[in-house]
Amino acid sequence: MSQHTGGGGIGRRLRAAFTDAGVTGWLHAVDLDRPAAQVGVGADRLVATASMFKIAVALTLFRVADAGGVDPAEAVTLRPEERSGGTTGVGAMLDAATLSLRDLAFLAITLSDNGAADALLDRLGLAEVNRTLTDLGLTRTAVVHHCRDLAALMAADAGVADGAALAPLLADPVVLARLRVLDPALTNRSTPREITRLLAAIWRDEAASADSCAALRRLLGLQVWPHRLASGFPFDDVRVSGKTGTLPTIRNEAGVVEYPDGGRYAVAVFTRSASTAFTLPAADAVIGTTARLAVEHLRASRA
Amino acid sequence: MDLIRHLKHFLAVAEEGHFGRAAARLHLSQPPLSQSIQRLERHLGVRLFDRSARGVALTDAGRLLLPAAGELLARADQLHTTAERLRRGELGALRVGVPPDLGGRAVAALLAAFQRRRSGMELRLREISTAEQLRGLADRTLDVGLLRYPFDSTWLSLGPVLCCLLGVLLPAAHPAGAAERVRLAELTGLALVLFPRPSAPALFDEVLTTCARHGFTPTEVHQVANPEFALGLVLAGGSVAFTDGVDPPRQPEVVWRPLVGQPLAWRTSPAWPRGRHTPAVAAFVEAATEALAEHAGMRVLDEARPRQPLHPRPTTEFFT
Repeated sequence: MSQHTGGGGIGRRLRAAFTDAGVTGWLHAVDLDRPAAQVGVGADRLVATASMFKIAVALTLFRVADAGGVDPAEAVTLRPEERSGGTTGVGAMLDAATLSLRDLAFLAITLSDNGAADALLDRLGLAEVNRTLTDLGLTRTAVVHHCRDLAALMAADAGVADGAALAPLLADPVVLARLRVLDPALTNRSTPREITRLLAAIWRDEAASADSCAALRRLLGLQVWPHRLASGFPFDDVRVSGKTGTLPTIRNEAGVVEYPDGGRYAVAVFTRSASTAFTLPAADAVIGTTARLAVEHLRASRA
Repeated sequence: MDLIRHLKHFLAVAEEGHFGRAAARLHLSQPPLSQSIQRLERHLGVRLFDRSARGVALTDAGRLLLPAAGELLARADQLHTTAERLRRGELGALRVGVPPDLGGRAVAALLAAFQRRRSGMELRLREISTAEQLRGLADRTLDVGLLRYPFDSTWLSLGPVLCCLLGVLLPAAHPAGAAERVRLAELTGLALVLFPRPSAPALFDEVLTTCARHGFTPTEVHQVANPEFALGLVLAGGSVAFTDGVDPPRQPEVVWRPLVGQPLAWRTSPAWPRGRHTPAVAAFVEAATEALAEHAGMRVLDEARPRQPLHPRPTTEFFT
């Protein structure tokens, strides 16, 4: 978009992009240096964050460390029989791994490592993470589940004991209609606008000490997934930092996009697909497409 | 004041001619009944009864007002009965969305099956797409829909999943039509006639993904809404279309064949917003299940059907 357009026009384009990708979507984007410049589609809607809550966990580690409550270099050993499982990082490893708390945060953010995230949550406590959110004024954001709780609740609601039998059930729309973890009121939750506020606080060194905010920005910038937010900005001179969140039919990512001219934008995109397939490239890509449409809109109004 | 309650008291006293007996009939003690009549008299501005030691007698005003009071009470009873029947879903209208391509016989059977269950109710059918039905359910202009998968079902309650297996309509001259069943991969080199993508993007993509999974990547996809036009493209040669086998076209230039392994199906469920289940909705769900099974070639999917193992990628994040 090359010229200034009204909010109605950009809203319509965003909704059309979501529809074309077979998803329902909610989005908020804000210019970090001109907070009045915003784009929203359902920006205040309560949404399930899925793994995006790991940003709050990592931030809490740094804040507690700032206050001298924990040494971020403290080593923790995760044993396979105790740690939470997952498809990446420590959660998928076969043997015991000893890492520092801040390296667990590295894995939890860059690979969405469930084993690392739950180990941090166990060390810090849910209450401490929610205190972080309250301190930042995020009243509609809450962390109520560990990764292992999400997995256990899905298995319980689907009516199976073992994880291998779970996958085909999670592709069944009738089963999905009764999953509690998909109901924002009952799981880790936020709104698109509160997530961009959280990112803005991290980028403006307000969420923790300047060093801690920089450390967390580094982790978000090292996230490996290319298929969502980053796919919308295939520009080598633009930095995209972010954190995904995924549950059956839910695909989310929030992050910050930084242009060489100094423009920086926080974007949070939450989607829900009609299809129950796990592999839906178009649904992943629309997160990038809509984020770019929103950022272009903010940049056009900047000149 | 609660006029209906006071009029009930008026009627009881008039019929019994005695405060004590009327109070007993109303399960009241005498003083509140007597106060109730006095309040009614003040409200109406006329005396209704002459009180004496032997009992009470209607005044002229009371006699003249009595029939109107009786009528009002009877109408109030009617109002409550009707409200109760509405609440139980025995009266009124049920607003229903159905897919536009539901056949005429299926629609007729659906209406008949519903009337058998809820004769006092009107079934208001609107033939609209799944996307429009979802909007109608969300803004409460529809009570229940017949939705074609895939759709976001997480805020809805779902009836049974009704499944309609698809076969392929192909030029009679094509060699794949010689066998009783066709493998999708045998359609390689042909174009596909499919509904326009904007009407259901997720289903459109799902059909093409399934075709690709089974070795059929069409040379071209013609997006066509009108079934007659779709048939025309198949008749013209070089294209195929997926249809149910309920009423295959009779032209000798085309043949309809089931697909090996039944990879393609339209799946449909009655659905209503969670927490908005009524007896009328239940009657519709039963009627739809019955009518669609008999007249639209659909059958209820077996919950216990074997499920293929799936291989989600690491990007799904949530598997353990």
